[in-house]
Amino acid sequence: MSGMHLSREFFELIKAIGESKSKQEEDRIIAREVVALKKKLESGGAGGGGGPSLGMIPGSPIPGSSGAAHGNILNTNKKKAREFLVRVLYVEMLGHDGSFGYIKAVELAASQSIIHKRTGYLVCSCCLSPEHEFRFMLINQMQRDLNSSNLLESCGALLAVTSLITPDLVSTVSTQVIGLLEHTEQTVRKKAIIAMHRLHQLSPDAVTKQEVTEKVRRMLCDRDPAVMGATLNVIEAMARVDAQPFKDLVPSLVSILKQICERRLPSEYDYHRIPAPWMQMKIVRILSVVGKNDSNSSEGMYEIVGECLRKAEEAGINASNAIVYECIRCITNIYPNPVLLDAAGASISRFLSSRSQNLRYLGVTGLASIVERHPKYAADHQLAVIECLEDEDETLLRKTLDLLYRMTNPVNVEFITDRLLHFLRRSTDPYLKSDLTLKICTIGERYAPNNAWYVRTITELFNIAGDLVDPAVATNLMSLIAEGTGNEDDDEEADMVLRKQAVELYVNLLNNPSNRMPRVLVETLAWVLGEYGYLSSVMPLSDIIDGMCKLLQSGNTARLGGGAPSTRRLVLTAIMKMVAQYGSCPATAAKVVDDYTKSSDPDAQKRCLEFQTILTQAPHLLGEVFPVDASLEDIDVSLDLSFLDGVVSDAIANGARPYQKPEDDDDDDINAVASQAASAFKMTPYEKPSERTYGQGAMQGMGSANMGPAGSGNVPLPPGSSSSTVNPQAAASPTQQPSNPGEPQLVLRNVANVWGKQAPPPAQAPVPSVPTTSSFASATTSSTPTGYGGFGVPAAAAPAVPIKTAEQ
Amino acid sequence: MISFILMVNKQGQTRLSSYYEWMDMQERVALESEIIRKCLSRSELQCSFLEYRGFKVIYRRYASLFFIVGTKADFDVRKLSKLTGVKKGGDKSVENYENELGLLEFIHTLVETMDRWAGSICELDIMYQLEQVHFLVDEMVMNGYIVETNKSNVLRPIDLIDRESKKNEGMFR
Repeated sequence: MSGMHLSREFFELIKAIGESKSKQEEDRIIAREVVALKKKLESGGAGGGGGPSLGMIPGSPIPGSSGAAHGNILNTNKKKAREFLVRVLYVEMLGHDGSFGYIKAVELAASQSIIHKRTGYLVCSCCLSPEHEFRFMLINQMQRDLNSSNLLESCGALLAVTSLITPDLVSTVSTQVIGLLEHTEQTVRKKAIIAMHRLHQLSPDAVTKQEVTEKVRRMLCDRDPAVMGATLNVIEAMARVDAQPFKDLVPSLVSILKQICERRLPSEYDYHRIPAPWMQMKIVRILSVVGKNDSNSSEGMYEIVGECLRKAEEAGINASNAIVYECIRCITNIYPNPVLLDAAGASISRFLSSRSQNLRYLGVTGLASIVERHPKYAADHQLAVIECLEDEDETLLRKTLDLLYRMTNPVNVEFITDRLLHFLRRSTDPYLKSDLTLKICTIGERYAPNNAWYVRTITELFNIAGDLVDPAVATNLMSLIAEGTGNEDDDEEADMVLRKQAVELYVNLLNNPSNRMPRVLVETLAWVLGEYGYLSSVMPLSDIIDGMCKLLQSGNTARLGGGAPSTRRLVLTAIMKMVAQYGSCPATAAKVVDDYTKSSDPDAQKRCLEFQTILTQAPHLLGEVFPVDASLEDIDVSLDLSFLDGVVSDAIANGARPYQKPEDDDDDDINAVASQAASAFKMTPYEKPSERTYGQGAMQGMGSANMGPAGSGNVPLPPGSSSSTVNPQAAASPTQQPSNPGEPQLVLRNVANVWGKQAPPPAQAPVPSVPTTSSFASATTSSTPTGYGGFGVPAAAAPAVPIKTAEQ
Repeated sequence: MISFILMVNKQGQTRLSSYYEWMDMQERVALESEIIRKCLSRSELQCSFLEYRGFKVIYRRYASLFFIVGTKADFDVRKLSKLTGVKKGGDKSVENYENELGLLEFIHTLVETMDRWAGSICELDIMYQLEQVHFLVDEMVMNGYIVETNKSNVLRPIDLIDRESKKNEGMFR
């Protein structure tokens, strides 16, 4: 079409990108382009700069200097600026940074010409991140454009608002956006309602739900169907959050849908002879949201949904099938109606037996949604579902697994769980894996035919995808094994059977570990064997202990579930429990415990040390410390340690001093410290300094005997006496505190000399040391200003001074 | 809601990308290359939908160009589920209610609209008039919602922009 506006450079760029054979080549081209663009931005039309680099592309001639050589071409020629921006857009689209061009985009948005303005806004919308500060710069422009009389400008602004406004900026444009809902042109109105909804999404406080709901109800009945169509989106979005405000819209929606189905809209809204299919779909979706669990609302929609479904079934193309699918979903979600459900079932059958993979997909999804509440529809399609399971199409497979999950009941749970586990094993997609894991846990818990199956299944699940399992599942499993189902009839025998089975399962795992055992599996294994390992008839307890020790010591952390400290501690405790049950400590266990007393994990160390102590000094306590089958028993704790009373009274009888609670005078101490602190710190402000302190004192101090090696150290102290006299007694000056505080004023007398242009040259400073003392005083006053700044200078003079004065 | 619309050729070169949810550059590049790879690995006989990282993706191939639409659960729905702490996955997953077949046909109507605008659209047209194609798509999809599918309504403002730009350029030439 209008390719004439493009420069040769741009043609070359597009051609090069189009012909590039690899990502690397494309990257190189873009990198060169970036360099060229940056040059354009800085100098302006420096075609020479861009030329050689582009010329390196094989096959393309060196483009001539495409811009004027004077001035920055981008500022004067809007066409070039627009092209520049499109090239920036390319750079960013292909994954490279084009931020050097953002400012031009902002500038161009202010252009008078609509296409440049829109291009500017476009690049900003695509490239500016939500935190980018340039977004602020566009507010003014957006406001102006929103108010523009040119509908294209208003549209551009509305689009920009939707992409660029952030929550804090909502209030700057909300009034105008809402105002545009009344615009004469439908293209503006329909964008305005979407923009308003967007503002509400960003800041529900600035643009409230009530405001949006109210506007939306009006716009739904707008004279132009396009605006109505746009409004449907907003209604659906808001109804999903809260359907209540829209319940009374059902009659209007029904009426609109009826009119659409009866072809009352202009034929422009048709798509392959289907009247406004997407509007039909949207309305049906809204109805399904509003009618959910609401028999009254649902009543009002049965007829039209049935009508819509029937008409769509007749047409037989994708667009109409999409409408059928939407109706199926609606029928299964709203309050059930048997006639409609049957019709939906028939449509699903048609989909499932179709040869089109897309339709089979819809069939499976539709079946999944119907089968949860109306399981009978699943019966007819068992075969079709199995076929889908064996399909190579991964997407279809996933949907079928989802269907299976929803079809689960106590009868088929074993088969379905088996299938789900099978696919979990094969899958590599993390989203799918965690989805399947959760599904398996859910149906396992809900429909398990018996406990033994549950234990087996969950253990298998741990083995395959233990890292994705919620730890609560492991805890549940362990409680199940410990206490059975917790029924009233505490069937100890059945519990024991379960435990034995669990133990054999885990013993088997211990003997044949897979290369990588997830952490939750190792920890559960440790617990089960630790608690009930003695029940095993396959492996004697001593061997189990050995096996666990080997697991711990092997150094193969993959087998140890990653080898985290918490895992190791659990295994240790399990070993200790088993030792307690066994009655004596095998050598392997002793070694392990010993090793871990030197562990870097303090918890593990502690456990092992305590264990060793008990073993050696009080073996009879083992049974109490590691009680058998008491994992869920409460532990009695006596808070006053009454069991030690005997020990205490014995000790006192033998002359020990009874315990004396220390006096509770901590608080006093703190207060004392505080008051001391108060006195130590001076809380009143210092006195203001007197002018003499800074002015004369310094001067005197410099020239006085203080400066010499014999100086007392209190150098720049005010003399108190008049400035013209030099006090030869060095001691005198320090003791004289500012007896003349006066008003602190800036001494400006010699400031000019210090800071101004007439500052005497430093060379003068040594001069005062030469003349007689009488002139010293006057010399001092002239030299000290420099001295004040150049501290070292009078110091040079100083040593001379004491000598002089002393000689006096 | 629609999270993104892509036009990618079979070499994996992106011809147009429109995102309705902000994603930073690395994410986009990774997403685009992964998705096109997945689309290419699927046969003609398989369905036109796939799932990728929580997106429901609908794609359709026209000659050398893939049109790809990625959808996610509506923004408001996601926010609500975060607030009410609905459990992830399993029963009450944050459901994406988009109609896959509807979006497949939407892609077709988009192509038909571009066809009418350009007089038989091809990949090169998109490359040479990138910004105008963006304007066209913006007329049809806004904030991730389909707002217009009536071709006349879509093309009227586009034509207006074209005419205005020709007028201006005539003056500056």
